Amino acid sequence: MNLKKPLTVETISLDLQGTTKEEILSEMVDLLMASGHIRDREAVLRAITDREKRMSTGMQNGIAIPHGKTDSVECLIAALGIKRAGVDFGALDGQPSSIFVMTVSPDSRTGPHIQFLAEISRPLNDAAVRAKILAATRREEVLQLLVG
Amino acid sequence: MHPGTDLDPIVRFVLQLGLLIVCTRLGGFWLRRWLRLPGVLGELLSGMIIGPYALGRFDWPIVGSLFGLTDAGAVSPELHAIAIFASIILLFLSGLETDLSTFLRYSIAGTVVGIGGVVVSFVLGAGTAVWFGLAPSWLDPSALFLGTAATATSVGISARILSERRKMDSPEGVTILAAAVFDDVLGIVVLAIVVGMARAKVAGGTIAWHHIAAIAFKAFGFWIAATAIGLLLARRFSQMLKHFKTPGAIAALALGCALLLAGLSEMAGLAMIIGAYIMGLSLSRTDLVQVIRKEIEGLHNILVPVFFGSMGMMVNLSAIGNVWKIGTIYAVLAVISKAAGCALPALFCGFNRHGALRIGMGMLPRAEVALIVAGIGLTSGTIGQDIFGIVILMSLVTTLIGPMLLDGSLENTASGLRHPEDEATSQARHIVLSFPSPDMADFMRVRIVRAFRQEEFYVYRLAPDSPTYHIRKDAMFFTLECEGGTLSLHVASQYETLARLVIAEEMLTLRSMLHLAQADQNLDTLEHNLVADLFSDNPSPPPL
Repeated sequence: MNLKKPLTVETISLDLQGTTKEEILSEMVDLLMASGHIRDREAVLRAITDREKRMSTGMQNGIAIPHGKTDSVECLIAALGIKRAGVDFGALDGQPSSIFVMTVSPDSRTGPHIQFLAEISRPLNDAAVRAKILAATRREEVLQLLVG
Repeated sequence: MHPGTDLDPIVRFVLQLGLLIVCTRLGGFWLRRWLRLPGVLGELLSGMIIGPYALGRFDWPIVGSLFGLTDAGAVSPELHAIAIFASIILLFLSGLETDLSTFLRYSIAGTVVGIGGVVVSFVLGAGTAVWFGLAPSWLDPSALFLGTAATATSVGISARILSERRKMDSPEGVTILAAAVFDDVLGIVVLAIVVGMARAKVAGGTIAWHHIAAIAFKAFGFWIAATAIGLLLARRFSQMLKHFKTPGAIAALALGCALLLAGLSEMAGLAMIIGAYIMGLSLSRTDLVQVIRKEIEGLHNILVPVFFGSMGMMVNLSAIGNVWKIGTIYAVLAVISKAAGCALPALFCGFNRHGALRIGMGMLPRAEVALIVAGIGLTSGTIGQDIFGIVILMSLVTTLIGPMLLDGSLENTASGLRHPEDEATSQARHIVLSFPSPDMADFMRVRIVRAFRQEEFYVYRLAPDSPTYHIRKDAMFFTLECEGGTLSLHVASQYETLARLVIAEEMLTLRSMLHLAQADQNLDTLEHNLVADLFSDNPSPPPL
């Protein structure tokens, strides 16, 4: 699938301000608003928070992939945020999370959702890519590292 | 002898088709069920029995001589058209099921084994015609057709044995499958050249080497150009087909295009099946394979036995009687050439003598392509009844003893590799989940299948009673199996993250449901209300 469409420089933040999980999620949803495809911001935040309540999407090595499905979005949208100091996200390895990839897609329509998450996060398996993303000074650099 | 009754031609055709379908299906069923032999043998034999050279020649009550010889030959033009259509479906599906990625993965061993089998089979096959006086030279159509008919392995028969023995994934299994892809392709290219040469020969008498070069160039040119264009446009073509949404429309359009390409390849001087095979091969790398295969399977099951049956009907037993000695030698040489041509190269590709023997035995059966080659030769007038009979005999012998010998070679469970430790290295990952009960595993199976469908994957159960599913989208391919309380997903390493994330999300759903069910007292009440009054004298409707 074409990863470039959902993730754009407008939906990337190199310096998230939040210091708690809730603040990070809310800030990421604000980033998603830049896509112009959200009908109801609160419903999107609720879908993501509900999913987080079932089990944290904080993975290993500082990566978190918060996601959810709701018909309050028109199509699959994505955002990427960086918090260099890290935030306690209840990750699997107990370490703070610093790279966040958020995805939301319509609930009642079929289409890639997990596939997008898997493909966008595949480069993040590489420690060198993670280091470059954390050191990036321009959003275009991050986009280039992830979608080529 | 002409048919002895005044039946309306359309009624005659319908009766012929009906009888042929019934007889070939029953023949195939009985042989498979009672003698455990490949069904294709039963279909072929059924055709021989009801054909114009056996029972078909007699006048029967009501219908007369339904399968008597006509001016057009042993098979009526209408039935022949159906048989041609069936061979197009057969080769279209064969191309569609060609696993190019497996072939490329094991391409070195597969190519070497495939080339060995094709070259040795062609030389010994054509040589039989020359050495035993059936053809004056190696360029004679009879020699060329006997050589070509001996080349292409009918891997479906061996695949069934490998599958039953759970050896499809073994190094020998994948090498047989890869080699069979190669020898199908090579066999069809050889057929293209041979048909061109035979036509030139029939039209003009003699044929010079520069003509052969021109024909070979044309055949290769058409083959390479059509395949390259097909593979390049396949993705776009499949995207276009997907606009039609319904599987029936997608399959019909794909088959329609296969028929168009078949016609074009015939107009280009090649056999129709070549165009059909190229169309299938082009679509084999798209995610529509299962959709098309599933839709066309019904048509295939009904019509392909008609093809084998009509091939059987063309067998003139008295003509075979004259050449049965040469036919037996040809069949024996076909066995030896394929076994040696494939097993010897395998010894140089990391296999020991056990592995090489299994590969040689797996490559023996020759059915579909051999019969198509012979049918093209006979109906175009380039070969006679004798050569046709010889090919049928070889096909019967190789499909009869091939599976037996392969099965026997698999009895010995010793590794087929010279360095058995190589067997352990594989790119495939297996995700295995054990659940407390088969019901829970089944619930998760349904959820995982649904989750992949929501991601717009094509999910197909291999057969209604099979616990195996194929899950496919573009180049991604997974196999899901559910046995008892265990679910296992086989996946290429690069797609493991996707598979794990999909399963993890469904596991979360399961956990949430169990948690909710435990916490919800209302479920107990619902269950109680459903059965409380079932056997009561005064049943009352359950509360809404």
